[in-house]
Formats: sequence, structure tokens, C-alpha cells
Amino acid sequence: MVADLKGLVDNDQGLLSRRIFIEEDIYQQELEQIFARCWLFLCHETQVPNPGDYFTTYMGEDPVLVVRDTAGRVNAFLNVCAHRGNKLCRADSGNAASFICAYHGWAYSNDGKLQAVPNLKDAYYDNLDQSKWGLAPVAQLDIYNGLVFATFDPDAPPLQDYLGDVKWYLDVFFNRREGGVEVVGGVHKWVAPCNWKLPADNFCGDGYHTGWSHLSAVQNGFGGEFRTSAAKGGKSVAPGNGHGILTIGPDEQSDPAVPEILAYEASIAEEVRKRMGPRLDLVKPHVGTLFPNFSMLRSVARVFRVWHPRGPGKTEIWNWVFVDKAAPPEVKAAFRLMALRAFGPSGGFEQDDMDNWQECTQTARGVVSRRHMTNISMGLGHESYDPDLLGWVSDYRITENNHRHFYSRWAEVMASDSWKNL
Amino acid sequence: MRDETIREVEQFLYREARMLDNRQFHEWLELLTDDLRYWMPIRSNRYPVNSKAISILDGSRYEESEVSSENDLALMDEDKDSLTRRIDRLDSGMAWAEDPPSRTRHIITNIEVEAGDSQDELKVYSNFFMYRTRAETEQDFYIGSREDVLRRDNGQLRVASRKIVLDQTVLLAKNLSNFF
Repeated sequence: MVADLKGLVDNDQGLLSRRIFIEEDIYQQELEQIFARCWLFLCHETQVPNPGDYFTTYMGEDPVLVVRDTAGRVNAFLNVCAHRGNKLCRADSGNAASFICAYHGWAYSNDGKLQAVPNLKDAYYDNLDQSKWGLAPVAQLDIYNGLVFATFDPDAPPLQDYLGDVKWYLDVFFNRREGGVEVVGGVHKWVAPCNWKLPADNFCGDGYHTGWSHLSAVQNGFGGEFRTSAAKGGKSVAPGNGHGILTIGPDEQSDPAVPEILAYEASIAEEVRKRMGPRLDLVKPHVGTLFPNFSMLRSVARVFRVWHPRGPGKTEIWNWVFVDKAAPPEVKAAFRLMALRAFGPSGGFEQDDMDNWQECTQTARGVVSRRHMTNISMGLGHESYDPDLLGWVSDYRITENNHRHFYSRWAEVMASDSWKNL
Repeated sequence: MRDETIREVEQFLYREARMLDNRQFHEWLELLTDDLRYWMPIRSNRYPVNSKAISILDGSRYEESEVSSENDLALMDEDKDSLTRRIDRLDSGMAWAEDPPSRTRHIITNIEVEAGDSQDELKVYSNFFMYRTRAETEQDFYIGSREDVLRRDNGQLRVASRKIVLDQTVLLAKNLSNFF
């Protein structure tokens, strides 16, 4: 380990060193300790429904090819030719029986096996064990609610354990109706000059910024009628392992005030309540982050996203829009439209966020600015474990509790060599 | 196409660009028809059908178009009402992406004018180079093409439809807070 991690995260006082947003050695350690070990999101199953369907993405800075093989199984490999390390597939998505490297023509079947090597007989004298030179697979891959996750670490706990008690919350996002969700075709991709942790912590627990950062979006109808208020309940919930969820009160709604959407939500409320159980009478999950870099939102827009790290001061944001598979076409169309007008690079909500995350990152380039700790102390001492909500729960909806859980997990994963200690 | 019409269209597009650069957004709205569709699809990287980098397994799953289709995700998909709300938001004093405001320069080129689907419509192709700088050292380059339908109403040309296709697949700007 390179970076000295002492004093970076002080959860007793709710203080955070700004070095973690800008220093290169800390970033390199994140790539090793976090992105090469944790479960990371790859794609939604509905993006690769048929044999041969593939989608290219990244785990940390490592390029990854997700592909459903001819036999129908979803696999993921480093998107890197085993021969000389060239990037293998340069398309974003498509359908393929095999992938052929542009450099020397090594060909891989869609299950990762090395299928053909030019000049094998004459130049290699038939002396290359093709079974040893297939694409490097991820260590583990699993799917929850259609969300495809993988880890490079064979010792990482199984996905179900890694998610732990956040699973019920994920169900409300992605499995509240029979059939789950599907994604709208296409992914928003853009680059923001901010550290990846700032958006991740924002979605994890920042109910504070909405009333100021996004007031202009709320007042100009980008989220429809945004009827949340403190008196009506809503909690921040930290279900463990660094995951964080924000909720609103059970009788509140923050859906886009489009007639099709409001009528749809009213029509399925009873069915969803039955499927999700009585916990839904306590809180309505609204936004959240799965540690480290997958976030989701189901209020003014139904979106999920990955914050791909691209150096300490840069993040590539990938944003998907999702809809209940069972929703009628006009409702899906309405969700699509409201999502892209509120979130994504042009979103009336989101365009302002990138500006704030950028400046929170870039001012830390100053060595003196960096000496000052950032303050995540809001609500210290005002949380308790709630078995009904399966997590550490705040007394008041606006708090930085979830930030503290996120960064405390960050510090643990950064420092620990073994999953046994985590 | 008559030279006079081409000149008129060019002058219309330049005037529109000047309004955007001068941040005369409410006046710009007057140049749009009430039934406007203002659409910026997403672009992605795809192998051409004859590419030898892959062999296709299921031809029915193959899509060659780099540009997302109507029902797919888009960078913007607006009508006049939603554009009006975007512009009203800019007046709120709390639209942080534009506070302080961007300085933009729209360079409009490669204008081609064709007959439209009806007597009072014209189909117009153009390329744009939109430079945005903001605050101290921020700068972004938005480059792409537009496909407009211009409609003449009581002698006044207005934009009835605009499809904007950026050349970047991963947008290299932190946001899209300006108009094209």
C-alpha cells in the first residue's frame, strides 16, 4: 500500500480530508483496493437478452466486455486481447459470435475462448496452448433484479452477501412489479471534472442539497410537483457495507406530475404494497448508492448510473433510464421523457450538480485548501439502528449519516488486505 | 431552390445564432413554432456490417445506425413548453450551471436548403461549431449537424423541427446547459 490513510476519515467528528478527492497515490490505491475487489455494476440484463448480445464497459479503469454466449450464459472478460494487450472490442454494443483483434487477428468466441490464431502452424510451430490464452474472465459474476454485477476478486463475498440488507431497497427500485424493469435503449455518457466519490456520496445521502441546488428545477416543473416536506417523515438509511438509501415518507410522492405517470402510480400502489410488504408503510425508497460507484434514483426520474473513475479529478458518468417492464407503452414513454429532461447531461436537475462537484474537487488542488477538512458532521449522534428498516436510520430526513457510513466503509476497504476483516 | 430563399434561410439561421450567443432566449423562443420538436439523439460506437472485427451471430440483432432512434434515450427531447421552462429556470438566479453564465459562439456553416414536405416548409441542413467558455478556464467544443424543418407563417420563418446530432459519443463536456 502506498498511501498513508491515517486521519483521512474522522467519523467521530464528521470530518473528511480533502486529499482523498485529488491525490494520485490515494487514487491508485482506490483502483487496487476498491475497484479491483468490490462488486461493480456492468449492465442491465435487458441490454443483452439474446445469445451473442454484448455490451462494453469498465470496471474501474479496466475495459470489460459483457457478452451472452451462444449457449445463453452471461459472461464478462477483460476487453483486452491476451496476445499484446490491445483493446479487443471497440463498439459500445452489438451482437457477435466472435471477436477478432484488430492488431494480429487473434479471434475469440463469445464465451472467451481463443478460437483462432493466424500463422499458428508456420510461425508458432503449432506450439501455443490456445486453452491458456483465452480472454481473462472476471472472478465472479452474478445478477440481482436484472442488474449484472462482477468482481475481479475471487475472495470477495458472494453478491448476495455484499449487498446484504440493501436488497429490499433494491427490490423497490427494480422489482416492485412482476417482471422487474427494463432499460430504455442507449446510455448517456459524459465526462465531469470531479472525483468519483462526490457524486457517489451525493446519491448515497445528500438530501440536504436538493432544496437549494435544485430549487430552480423544482420550481420550473422539471420534477413535476415535488411535494416532500420534513413533517411527513422520510429517513436516511444505511443498511451496511457502505450502501446508503434516502427515503421519503410513505404518503409522500415525488413522481413527475405527468397525468399518465400519476395515474399509473395510483393504479399499481396496492399491488406494489402487497409485493414489497409492510416496510413500505414506513418509508418510500427514493435515491441511493451501492458502494462504491453505482447509484439510482426513482423520484423525479427513474435512472441508475455508474461513476467510472478516470483519475482523481475526473469521472465518466454513464446513465441509464429504467421503466417497469409491465407498464403500458404510454407510461414508459412518459417516464423516458421526464427522466431525460431532469437527469443526464442536459437534465434540469443534473446539469447544476456537475458544476458543484467539479469545484469541490478542483479547489482541493490547492495545498492549503487541502489542509482544511470537509464537514460531514450533520446529524452526528442522531441515528440509531432500526431493525424494521434493516439499517442505521436518521432521526431527521436531512442528515449526513449516510455520507459517514459511505466514507467509513471506504476507509476500511482501502486499509484492509482481507475480506475477513471487512 | 431560389437564391433568394437560400439567402433568407442563411440570414435566419445567423440571426438565430446571434440571439443565442447574446442570451436573448425569450426572443429566440419566438422563432420556434408552437408544435416544435427539438431532439438531440445519442450517438454510439458501432461496427459497420462489413467489419471483420466481429462475426455476427444473430443478424436480426444487428443495428448499424450510430444515432439512437426516436424511442431510445436522447440528450434532449424537447417541445416548446419544456424549452420555455428551461429558459424560465435560467431567469431564477439559481440555475447554477449557468451562473455565472456560459459565453457561447455558434458558428453555423454548410447550409443546404431543400423543398419541405409542404408548400410552406423548407428542409434545411447545417453544421455547427459551438464554443462554450465559462468562469475562468472552462471550455467546451460542441460540434455536429442539424436537420431543421423551417415553416413560413404570415411571412415569418420559424423552426418547426430540429434534429441535432453531436459528433461525440462520450460527451466531453460536463453538461449541456446551452441551446443549439
